[in-house]
Amino acid sequence: MSYIHVEGLCKHFDIRLKREKGSLIRGKKRVQALQDVSFDVEQGELVGYIGPNGAGKSTTVKILSGILTPDEGTVTVGGRVPWKERKAHVRRIGVVFGQRMQLWWDVPIADSFELLKEIWHIPDNAYHKRLAELAEALRLEDLLRTPLRQLSLGQRMRAELCGSLLHSPELLFLDEPTIGLDAVTKLALRDFLLWENREHHTTILLTTHDMEDIAALCSRVMVLGRGQKLYDGQLSELLSRYDTQRILTVRYDRMPVLPELPAPVSAVAENETLRLTCRTADLDMDTLLPLLQQAGTIRELIVQPQNIDHLIAAMYQEMGL
Amino acid sequence: MNAYYAVFRLRRRLETQYRGAVIGGLICQVFFGLILIALYRALYAGKPQMLPFSHVATYVWLQQAFFRMLLASDAELMDKVRTGGIAYDLCRPMNLYGFYYARILAQKLTGCLLRAAPMLLFAALLPEGWGISLPVSLPALLWALAAWVLGLFCVSALENITMAFTMRTLDPRGMQAMMNLLMMILAGNVLPLTLFPDSWQPVLTALPHAQLLDAPIRIYTGEYALSQAGLILLRQAGWTAALICTGMLFWRRNQRRLVIQGG
Repeated sequence: MSYIHVEGLCKHFDIRLKREKGSLIRGKKRVQALQDVSFDVEQGELVGYIGPNGAGKSTTVKILSGILTPDEGTVTVGGRVPWKERKAHVRRIGVVFGQRMQLWWDVPIADSFELLKEIWHIPDNAYHKRLAELAEALRLEDLLRTPLRQLSLGQRMRAELCGSLLHSPELLFLDEPTIGLDAVTKLALRDFLLWENREHHTTILLTTHDMEDIAALCSRVMVLGRGQKLYDGQLSELLSRYDTQRILTVRYDRMPVLPELPAPVSAVAENETLRLTCRTADLDMDTLLPLLQQAGTIRELIVQPQNIDHLIAAMYQEMGL
Repeated sequence: MNAYYAVFRLRRRLETQYRGAVIGGLICQVFFGLILIALYRALYAGKPQMLPFSHVATYVWLQQAFFRMLLASDAELMDKVRTGGIAYDLCRPMNLYGFYYARILAQKLTGCLLRAAPMLLFAALLPEGWGISLPVSLPALLWALAAWVLGLFCVSALENITMAFTMRTLDPRGMQAMMNLLMMILAGNVLPLTLFPDSWQPVLTALPHAQLLDAPIRIYTGEYALSQAGLILLRQAGWTAALICTGMLFWRRNQRRLVIQGG
């Protein structure tokens, strides 16, 4: 059986409504957070879990990490049912909730780590080895004696990640780990996750809204919408389905004389730059290129697929999310 | 060293960091101590009570010195429960009740020890009729110390129940306001329990709040005879055990029906 096995997972929440005028009791609204979700993940896989806000991503993560009990469905992680054998289960997992804190606010992060060492029963030498390894990879060496409150958001995120990995979990849940990080930190974090996955064969389940994260880290993605699984497979395949447009940017040495272009291509000129949009299927460079050259001397020509965020937005739209 | 001791140590250290709070607390408690004693002196001047006045003064000072034990909650812990940071603690192989108990105990112990020493010194230097008196005997002091330790365990258990309730109501303020009010009155912080009418005493002293500071203080002043002390400690231990069991039960039930809201 696969390492993570999820079948027919359902979870609903009851939301209490505001009391209506004249009524004595408050009504309830039933929100189906997860509806018949099934998937399998093998050990060592790096899976992206995406979907619009409120799709049920965090709910899934909470169930998989054993802090939420589902209404229906079977879940096993490494042969254990998370919410039934909580203690045994959590011993092997690490979690990063991007917007919550686990480290102590007023004490140096090394002291918070010491506490985690005791919580996870990490032997002394294993702890020191692991901390050195993580501190180097996450560039935390100089920050260990700094109280958490003095760290920047990016530094704090790195420290939180370090805290979640100290006990060398075999399974790591990352719930929006790159929120608010600058480009350098984001890249470093991605490198680190790939390294952790490669070196320690850590299974990683990543939820995020940052599609660049997904593209850089995960070959496999699952798309969740309104509590249902809508796609599960290769990211490239998913993208190619929605990657229907190409954008051509042509920069001339002076204002171009706009040529007559074939119908499927739409053009916008802006000073020396010409921007063309066209369906991928209609893109015919053989006819297009001579026409563009007639218009003037080309300095630069860029052919781009659509921005990945646009693709995902198009996908969500098509799926009616 | 295990996780529970580790969190105890870390919380203890954190408590010593807020020096400003310690000094502020000291000044406030000294002020309240003096006001209360002036008040009771006026009361005695109008109508002398059965209880010797030195007992009342001692009661007031001990209450003020160990005030942090009664009325102080761990704001960070409350926040964790309120905002869902507790999700992290749930993802750890440990007993949540024990973990929070150790944390609460550390805060209460450190908080009152830091303040008690200078407070008691101050109270000892005050003139006769204003300051604190020595314990009635050395054995009484030892019994009182033991009773105080039990009181500390008891108040931590009480606090942990408040925490469990916070998880349900999601806002600690209402519950805390009520608990604090009960605490101020029933633990003898506003009016020494010894000054309540005699007919009330059996009820008041049987309540859990009387086990916290009232019991050790009465042993200290000699109001409870040494022969009674064993029984008093037994009652304290009984309440502590009952409150710990109740708290554990609440936490177990909470954990089963817990929903960490939001992504």
